[in-house]
Amino acid sequence: MQCSPMRLDQIKKDGTFRVTKVNCENESVARLMSMGLLPGQEVRLTHQAPLGDPIAVVFQGCHMSLRLKDAAEVEVEKI
Amino acid sequence: MSEAPSEFRVALIGNPNTGKTSLFNALTGMRQRVGNYSGVTVEKKIGRWALNRDQEVHLIDLPGTYSLSASSLDERIAVDVLAGRVDGHPAPDLIIVVVDVENLQRNLFLASQASELGVPMVIALNCWDVAEKKGLQIDCKLLEQRLGVPVVPTVATRSRGTEELARAVEHAIKTKAMMMRPIWPEAVKTAVQKLHDEFISKRGEALQVGELQRLIFDPNSSVRERLQTPQSEYEGIIKDARDQLYKDGFNPDAAESILRFRFLNPLLGDIIERQAALKKRSTTESIDQLLLHRFWGLVVFVGMMYVVFQSVYTWAGPFMDLIEGGTGALQNIASDALTGTPILQSLIADGIIGGVGAFVVFLPQILVLFLFISLLEESGYMARAAFLMDKLFHWCGLNGKSFVPLLSSYACAIPGILATRTISDRKARMITILIAPLMSCSARLPVYLLLIGAFVEPRYGSAVAGATLFAMHFVGAVLAAPIAWSLNQTLNQGQKPKPFLMELPPYRAPRFKTMAWRMYESGKEFIIRAGTVIFAMTVIIWALLYFPRSAEVETTVTNSYRAEVATQADNTSLDEEELSKRIDAAYLEQSYMGRFGKFVQPVFAPAGYDWKITVGVLASFPAREVIISTLGITYALGGEIDDESNDLRDTLTQAKWESGPRTGESVFNIPVALSIMVFFALCMQCGATLAVIAKELNWRWAIGSFFALTTVAWIAAVLTYQIGMLFA
Repeated sequence: MQCSPMRLDQIKKDGTFRVTKVNCENESVARLMSMGLLPGQEVRLTHQAPLGDPIAVVFQGCHMSLRLKDAAEVEVEKI
Repeated sequence: MSEAPSEFRVALIGNPNTGKTSLFNALTGMRQRVGNYSGVTVEKKIGRWALNRDQEVHLIDLPGTYSLSASSLDERIAVDVLAGRVDGHPAPDLIIVVVDVENLQRNLFLASQASELGVPMVIALNCWDVAEKKGLQIDCKLLEQRLGVPVVPTVATRSRGTEELARAVEHAIKTKAMMMRPIWPEAVKTAVQKLHDEFISKRGEALQVGELQRLIFDPNSSVRERLQTPQSEYEGIIKDARDQLYKDGFNPDAAESILRFRFLNPLLGDIIERQAALKKRSTTESIDQLLLHRFWGLVVFVGMMYVVFQSVYTWAGPFMDLIEGGTGALQNIASDALTGTPILQSLIADGIIGGVGAFVVFLPQILVLFLFISLLEESGYMARAAFLMDKLFHWCGLNGKSFVPLLSSYACAIPGILATRTISDRKARMITILIAPLMSCSARLPVYLLLIGAFVEPRYGSAVAGATLFAMHFVGAVLAAPIAWSLNQTLNQGQKPKPFLMELPPYRAPRFKTMAWRMYESGKEFIIRAGTVIFAMTVIIWALLYFPRSAEVETTVTNSYRAEVATQADNTSLDEEELSKRIDAAYLEQSYMGRFGKFVQPVFAPAGYDWKITVGVLASFPAREVIISTLGITYALGGEIDDESNDLRDTLTQAKWESGPRTGESVFNIPVALSIMVFFALCMQCGATLAVIAKELNWRWAIGSFFALTTVAWIAAVLTYQIGMLFA
């Protein structure tokens, strides 16, 4: 309860985050969900592309790159 | 055996990057063929796999997908093939799900979706060796018990585990081993039952329960399109079922993922034993610290692309020279052997050998490029390159994966277009293919060199000449961006663009066998499929340049030349070489192409071209470098001309208008030279590229892009000339 809700496009490289809410109407998010990015899942930012977009995150040992627009549909909290 | 059992059909599915294609290759070897599913450009791979000494099965390699949710074409094909809905593809007798050991949960999600289709299943745990090395241990026997289907460890790249896989498949077909399905909550069951009543009981639709689930869970399911029920009706029915599910506390868009993982996770919890080592940062992550670094990552990327591009140019060079030399030698042999029959001599030596040779010469570039592409892909770097470049391409509908194909197109559009196969978003791939011919390929270089050398350099010096050459390489790319943007706005492939989600797979050492296979496949396809078209076009253009051929032309030219020589008192001898050049030029002028050139010349007049340049432009539609030799012939220099030829440069500078309002003026000046270069920079003058576009998309697109680019080139050439004349 220490932080206000954050979105996946706002997280920094330090620290691990937990997914709290996903907008499953977004197609990219629906896909991420079928790969295991569900509420409760831990996720970490690993890289940001030179021009700022896209970003790379890791969850369940899987490295995935996604655009900021889609990352904004996933809410996370710091743990 | 008393009678041959009807052949079993086995489908191979799996996530991307699981080594599914390697397994397919290991099982089928050379006995495979690649085609397209009818009506769509999804690659269809079918092969034969010998299970044992007397039994072969039909193995179908489906596109790699993460889920069966059917939002992309690949997934649609996968669902349709698995459910037996594709013409000529009855439902498979067994599904092999290829699973990457390192991502067991996620990979089994797909298996779980497939389990609903009621087809026996075998699971291949691939990359077993990598997992072992990393200290990952999986209890296969326990997993087998829990899932209810055979689980076989494999190492596809080394063909390990294929024997065991064959036994497991035999066994699973015999025992009809089905994978355990989740126990669905009442709400889901009710919703499925509702659809069952409405569609199957009431309306007699031929659907399976697995497909009904897809209707509920996927808002864009391809199953909808197969319903016989009218759209107005089925939309309401599906909406009711989804609404009901929502009321019962399950968001239909999220329910499947949540419920399936809730089912899978407890099954897997104690099966995977990770040693402490795995928790540490992996090698892949360490490498990525450099390769995805915001600054150094770009430096490495630019360096690598430079190496790729240079290699396509330089490594292929000697082989291309060899092919050209070989073509020349063959032409000489053929022409010596056929001196008695001039038509055959010209057809075989100039037409067929010359034309096909001009096409085969691209083969080394294709092989070198595919060597690098498979290296980049196999190692896992391609996804990183796309990650780094994505933002640059995103705004005009392309994505990061367009970079390598477009860069390769600077060497030659053909390998570039073939390389677009690495782009999984169909729309982005299509746009990349359509703009690839605008990248200035190496065949344009001779045209630039000739004209810059003849007109720009003598007048403005080498600095301006260099800058002009540089600018010519960018004209196409500058125009390509808005073209890509507008294509992106207008193209509607009946589907939304695929979301850009790209896995960054672990780095792997590339295997020579796989790379060799990719090179072989790309080379073979290029030669066979595009080659037949090129052959036909070559012969047609040859005929247009050769016919009609009346002996009168020769006599007239000879007589007039004799007369000319006779008037010159000091020159008594008749130059045979000069005579034969003049005869060639006269024949060309008389040919259908020559006549057509004269007829069409008014179209090119606003660009400043006379009929000879027009013939050159027309004759170089099959292959743009032909312009050099055609100009050589039309300006009566004989066929053996290259861009280094001072003769040709001099002749061009001295060429005068023979008729019309500007009789006596020079044909070539700076605006004309620039106009020709711009035309060649933009125009689709390459039969081989057209053939490849037709193969990768279809003929309509090939013809469309031909006319579109020719129009663009014409407009740009006219503008260049007209604006240039204002300053001249």
